Amino acid sequence: TLTKNHVPAPLPSALATARNIDNINSVQYPEGIQSPKAELNTNAKDGKFRYDREFLLQFMALCKEKPAMLPPLDAIGLEPVDQSSLSMSRGGSGR
Amino acid sequence: QEIDMQAQAEGIRTVFNDPTNFNVKHPLYSSWTLWFDSPATKGRNLPQTPVSAFPQTPIPPTPGAAAAQGWMEDIKRVISFDSVEEFWGLYNNIVPPSQLPQKANYYLFKEGIIPAWEDEANKNGGKWSIQLPKDKNRGHVDKMWLYTMLAAIGETFDPSPPSEGGSAPQSLITGVIVSVRPQFYRLSIWTRLAPSQGEADGLKDRIENVGRHFKMSVLGFGEAQRLAGPLATEVEFLSHKDSEKKGKAAKKIII
Repeated sequence: TLTKNHVPAPLPSALATARNIDNINSVQYPEGIQSPKAELNTNAKDGKFRYDREFLLQFMALCKEKPAMLPPLDAIGLEPVDQSSLSMSRGGSGR
Repeated sequence: QEIDMQAQAEGIRTVFNDPTNFNVKHPLYSSWTLWFDSPATKGRNLPQTPVSAFPQTPIPPTPGAAAAQGWMEDIKRVISFDSVEEFWGLYNNIVPPSQLPQKANYYLFKEGIIPAWEDEANKNGGKWSIQLPKDKNRGHVDKMWLYTMLAAIGETFDPSPPSEGGSAPQSLITGVIVSVRPQFYRLSIWTRLAPSQGEADGLKDRIENVGRHFKMSVLGFGEAQRLAGPLATEVEFLSHKDSEKKGKAAKKIII
């Protein structure tokens, strides 16, 4: 390829190629990882699953990839407000 | 197809097995869309790049929703997602409620449902909501909003909806909202239906279970705990039809 030798080509995002789990009860999680509560999915149909909070929270530290489709946040006015600078930079209007 | 065969051959790798090279993801019960508005989004026509690169508000699918166009004008569609992994990628790259500008709102709704009363999925519904004083809750609101979103996407607000015709049952929840105001935060859970006065059809129990789950499991309050005070409300339910006729006696349900 024409890419520079010292710049490794980025791997395609695993997220983009991963397929949906079709049987949630068949997944074996590594030791220390809690499976979704079984009673939430006893009658699961059509690949539609329910997940309890404790199960979902386990992903927080692992899934940090910025979504490819996320628009620039400043373009839609979605910028974090620095609480400490509110009164200075916004002329006090924040109070 | 190749990926499927590879996964078959190599076995299932979740993000817990391999955070950078997993081959399966956890589908959500529904696809979701995050919307946002604030005074800074008002009047933005989004004409130039890079702004035009993000999806515009879709054309409302129903005549009822067309009436909501004025309301929807300043509400910007941020992104849609349909897996647990994608939800966290978004969560880890977006602004939490405690750092939103004044008068901002996040709306997380099922895909195809716009965050307006006029949408077909909302017009016969209502909302559970709670208002919390800002000063006392600045340190809690991010967790409360996260837990609200997790109960929504995990579909645990309404855990035992009746099954319809053999396909997956439809849940009562259409979306969740967090609103930032100068003096308070408001969290809301929107439902597809609202119980009508004096009808014992099981819907009131189902709605009340949603409210109870919201109050106790999501927000962490005790069942009998009273919450109303200066700038604060109880966890209360109001149908959208009653919300519309302001001034008249509203028939609230309080949990």
